[in-house]
Amino acid sequence: MLTPDNTATGSGTGKNGHGATIVLDDVVKQYPGQQAPAVDHLSMEIPAGEIVVLVGPSGCGKTTSMKMINRLIEPTSGRILIDGVDAMTLQPDEHRRHIGYVIQQIGLFPHMTIAENVGLVARMEKWDKSRIRNRVDELLDLVGLAPSEYRSRYPRQLSGGQQQRVGVARALAVDPPVMLMDEPFGATDPITREHLQNEFLRLQRELRKTIVFVTHDFDEALKMGDRIAVLRERSSIVQYDTPEAILANPADEYVESFIGRGGQLKRLALLPISEYPLHDVPSGNGALPTVDVEASLRDALDEMLAAGKQTAVVLENDKPRGSLTLDDVMAAINSHEPSTAKDPSRAGL
Amino acid sequence: MAAMAIAIVIGVSLGILTHQRPVFANGATTVTAAFLTIPSIALVGILIPILHLGLKNVLFCLVVYALLPITRNTIVGLRSVDSAIVDAGRGMGMSNRRLLWQVKIPMAWPVILAGIRVSTQMIIGIAAIGAYVNGPGLGNEIFTGLARFGSVNALNQVLIGTIGIIVVAIIFDLVYVAIGRFTTSRGIRAHS
Repeated sequence: MLTPDNTATGSGTGKNGHGATIVLDDVVKQYPGQQAPAVDHLSMEIPAGEIVVLVGPSGCGKTTSMKMINRLIEPTSGRILIDGVDAMTLQPDEHRRHIGYVIQQIGLFPHMTIAENVGLVARMEKWDKSRIRNRVDELLDLVGLAPSEYRSRYPRQLSGGQQQRVGVARALAVDPPVMLMDEPFGATDPITREHLQNEFLRLQRELRKTIVFVTHDFDEALKMGDRIAVLRERSSIVQYDTPEAILANPADEYVESFIGRGGQLKRLALLPISEYPLHDVPSGNGALPTVDVEASLRDALDEMLAAGKQTAVVLENDKPRGSLTLDDVMAAINSHEPSTAKDPSRAGL
Repeated sequence: MAAMAIAIVIGVSLGILTHQRPVFANGATTVTAAFLTIPSIALVGILIPILHLGLKNVLFCLVVYALLPITRNTIVGLRSVDSAIVDAGRGMGMSNRRLLWQVKIPMAWPVILAGIRVSTQMIIGIAAIGAYVNGPGLGNEIFTGLARFGSVNALNQVLIGTIGIIVVAIIFDLVYVAIGRFTTSRGIRAHS
């Protein structure tokens, strides 16, 4: 996807771009005049089509690490491979056009209309006008903004949440296999933020991009990540694993401190009810709490606690499908512990 | 007005070339500011041995005086473009040149134009001094009038020159307002 002759592939539905594997191989960033490197021998593999969240305190080098992937920051040493191609061998501007880039400040160009903003990369890639127009409309639809209404507006006429939707659409313009997202939803209010997160996860289920997502919010990392890399100073990886595995088995106290309180509840929130066998619906279930099958075990537990019952009826399309008990929730938490034992070799690569 | 054209070209280029390097940008601002502190009547006088009397002398002086507002506003305008927007542009794969022409200059344009407008106002006034070194313009009316002050119509002649200059200045100002409206994107105009 990164070779120039492939630049024409993004014309279609936006679903044909599959992700690319990113490999960081012993990457170092040393700023001149500073004793310690900002990123110290970082190695990790980011599997194609997954969202990998880099999470850590501010100043830990997570953004620097991310920006080296599209070479906004040039590594001092080490290699960055995208689907096996060494990023250092590519022309930087050309390289960046095929990596979606979404930042917290959004960075829409205020003097351009929404359509011009979204079509910018395609324009640089010399697509013809009608193709750009179609693609822009398609992308605006994709992010839930009616093209006829928003196409010719200017960024300042949109709310923050709408602007970031445009930011995501703009990053997807030429269907890049890789997206870099630097706290993309960090500047929005909690409600908008959750909306954007959910929408983006839904999009990603279709798009299957490889996404590097930077945040300092561990709860956001749990929600967004297929995998989470917990970083500390100089971008050293403390733990790199799935959210469930990190919650079930934090590598050390540092990770525990990141998880904060309620780690088990957070785990429950990651376990969907649909993955567990259900009991028959007990007869006379009128007084029992109900929960949708798409919800998590945490939601089920919450309903049980609220109703003061040890059983909840699971609904599918508003019809009872089965039931779940408190013991099932307990069993789920306990059964997960050994099976997801972390694999430390992953972190070291 | 040839003076304005030359000053715009020099001032804007100077601004573009220096805005990313604080040392040069400050240098450019200081030098052009220093020009401005020279009294205009002294400058045209000093230049007589080099550029002699006439249009060339006046032109040179006006360009020199017009530089500061243009250069400084160009630098300030380009620098005030939000770094996040520049970051986003680079992240999307825009080259520095593209970023300059498609993003930074359009965004800085209202500020640059304001500098040009101030310069124009300023040198329309200074241009009158040009008459002192045999330059063309309404200044001639004023100087002739002043020279024969007390005689019939002398005051009228001075007034004609002065009012003429004011009218010219106002007309130019209106032209700039119009240019500003037509060349500034609706997305960044103060009131749309």
